[in-house]
Amino acid sequence: MLARQQVDPAAPLWRAAQVFRLLSWTYALYFQVSKNAELDRPVLGWVLFGVLTGWSLACGFAYLRGFGRRRSWVLTEAVMVVGLMATTVIVASEHWTLANQSWPTTLWATNAVVSAAILAGPVAGMGMGLAVMGTAAALKGAIAVDLVRSPTILIELSVGLAIGMAANTARRAHAEVEKAARIAAALAERERLSRHVHDGVMQVLAMVARRGREIGGETAQLAEAAGEQERALRRLLSAVDIEPEAAAAADGDLGLLLRRHASDRVSVSVPAAAVYLDPRVAAEVEAATVNALTNVERHAGPGARAYVLLEDLGNEVVVSIRDDGPGIPAGRLEAAIGEGRVGVSKSIQGRLAALGGRAELTAPAGGGTEWEFTVPR
Amino acid sequence: MSDDVTTVMVVDDHPIWRDAVARDLAEAGFEVVATADGVGSARRRAAAVQPGVVVMDMRLSDGTGAQACLEVLAVSPSSRILVLSASDERADVLDAVKAGATGYLVKSASKAELGEAVRATAAGRAVFTPGLAGLVLGEYRRIAQQPDGLRDGAAVPSLTERETEILRHVAKGLTAKQIAERLSLSHRTVENHVQATFRKLQVANRVEATRYAIEHGLDQ
Repeated sequence: MLARQQVDPAAPLWRAAQVFRLLSWTYALYFQVSKNAELDRPVLGWVLFGVLTGWSLACGFAYLRGFGRRRSWVLTEAVMVVGLMATTVIVASEHWTLANQSWPTTLWATNAVVSAAILAGPVAGMGMGLAVMGTAAALKGAIAVDLVRSPTILIELSVGLAIGMAANTARRAHAEVEKAARIAAALAERERLSRHVHDGVMQVLAMVARRGREIGGETAQLAEAAGEQERALRRLLSAVDIEPEAAAAADGDLGLLLRRHASDRVSVSVPAAAVYLDPRVAAEVEAATVNALTNVERHAGPGARAYVLLEDLGNEVVVSIRDDGPGIPAGRLEAAIGEGRVGVSKSIQGRLAALGGRAELTAPAGGGTEWEFTVPR
Repeated sequence: MSDDVTTVMVVDDHPIWRDAVARDLAEAGFEVVATADGVGSARRRAAAVQPGVVVMDMRLSDGTGAQACLEVLAVSPSSRILVLSASDERADVLDAVKAGATGYLVKSASKAELGEAVRATAAGRAVFTPGLAGLVLGEYRRIAQQPDGLRDGAAVPSLTERETEILRHVAKGLTAKQIAERLSLSHRTVENHVQATFRKLQVANRVEATRYAIEHGLDQ
C-alpha cells in the first residue's frame, strides 16, 4: 500500500494452484481425446476445448503474475467454468450427458473453487464448490446427488474449506510477523534515539546545569531549567530503555512502576532485576506509595526530600518511604494521626491490608517519618 | 598517596565533559595525568601512568564503563575507580562496582562534591548514593535467593546483619553521619561497612570470572 511493494502472503498457494491447473487440464485433455468421438458435434467439441485451454493459460498467467488475484477475475473464472459446462447441452445428447462426467471441464472445474478459496477464504471456496456442482447437477437434471457413487460434491466442499483455511492462516501469520517486525523496528529506533540523545543533548544539558550553578546569579536559573530538562529526559529514556510503560504495568514489575516517581525531590532505590508481583497488587502498592509521597509533599515542609527503597525478600516485598522533614515528636504519633497530620494513613493501611500485607508508620528520633509496606508474594 | 599529589585519569567519551572534569580537578589541586575516551585508550594510558584515581563515565565510545574498570585494574591494580555518570544508577553501575569501582557520583554533582569524592576515593573510602545502596542490597538478596545448586563453592558473598542494616539506611537516604548517630558507631566504621559490601561483590565476581575461564579453557 505504501511505496514498498506489498507481499502477498497467499502467493505460494496461488503458485501451487497453477500446478494443479496444469494437471487438471492434462486430465481434461485425456478425457476429451478419449470421449470426443462420442459427442454429437465433435468439431465444436474441440473448439470449446480450445477455449478451455486458452482460458487456462490466461488464468495461469494472471494468477502467477498477480493481476488476476482479485474478485472480478475469479468471478470471470467461475462464469467460464459454468459456461463451458453448460455447452454440453449443445455438443452432446442428453443420454450421453447423464452417463458421463461434466464435459469438457471434468476435474478442471475445481480450479474455480481453488481460486475462490485462496482469494476469499473457506466460505467463498465452499460457496464456489456448491455453485459448480449445482451447475453440473442442473445439467443432468438431477439435484439428488448420489453420494455413494459420486462423492465429488464432498470433495469440492473439502477443497474449498481446506484451501480457504490455509489462505486465511497464511494471511494471519503474515500479519503477525509484520506486526512483530514493526514493533521490533520501533524499539530499535527508540534505542538508537536514546543513545543519540544520551550522548549528545543530555551531556550538554548536564554541563550547562553544572557550569551555570557555579556562575550563579541569573545564570543559576538557566542552570536549574537545564538540569530539570536533563533529568526529565533521563527518566524518559530509562523508562523507554527497558520496555514500554504499558508492558511494565501488565507484567507487574514494581521496580519499574516505582522508578517512574523519581524526581529531584524523590530518590527511588530498586534492585537491578525486575521485582514481579501480580499486576493488580503491584498497582495497589504503587498507589499506596504515591499516597505516602503526596503526604510528604503536603506535610514534611518545602525542602523535604523523600527516599523510596524497594526490597525483594523472595517470599515478601518491602517498600520503605522515608522523608527527611521535621518528623513527629515522640509520643505524638497517635495524636498526629488523629489530627489528620497523617490523614492518608488509614487509606494506606487499608490498601495494604487488602493485599494481605501491612503498613507501618514510624517517626525515628532523628527526625523524618518512615512508612514500611510489607507485601506477601 | 597522602604525602604526594593525587594523580587522576579522566575517562569520558564526551569531550565537553572530559575537558571540564579534568579542568575542575586540576583547579581543585589534583594532577590530571591522562584522559581517555574509550576502553582501549583507558587501558593503554592507565598502564603507562598508573593513576591514583580514575574518574570513569559509564558509556564509552568502544564499550561500557564496567569493562573499562576491569581492564584498567588489570594493568594498574593500585588505581581506585570513581564512577561519574549521568546513568540512572541501574545495572551498569552495579556492574562497575562488581568490576572494582569503589565510588559512584552522578554528573549533576557540583565541582566541590566531585573534588571531595575524588579525595575520598584516593583515601580508599567508598563514595555511594542511596540508589547504589539499593542496587547492592538487591544484588545480595538475588544471590541469596538462588537455588543451592547454582552456588556450589565457597565464593557466595553474603551480608552481615550490620551491613544489611547500614545499606538499608543508606538506600533510605541517611548520610553516613546520621547512620553513625543512630547506630552509635563512628562515621568511619559506617563507611568501612559499606565498602566491605562493595568489595565482597567484587571478589565474588572475580572468583566467578576465574572459575568460568577455567571451566571454559580460557585461562591460558
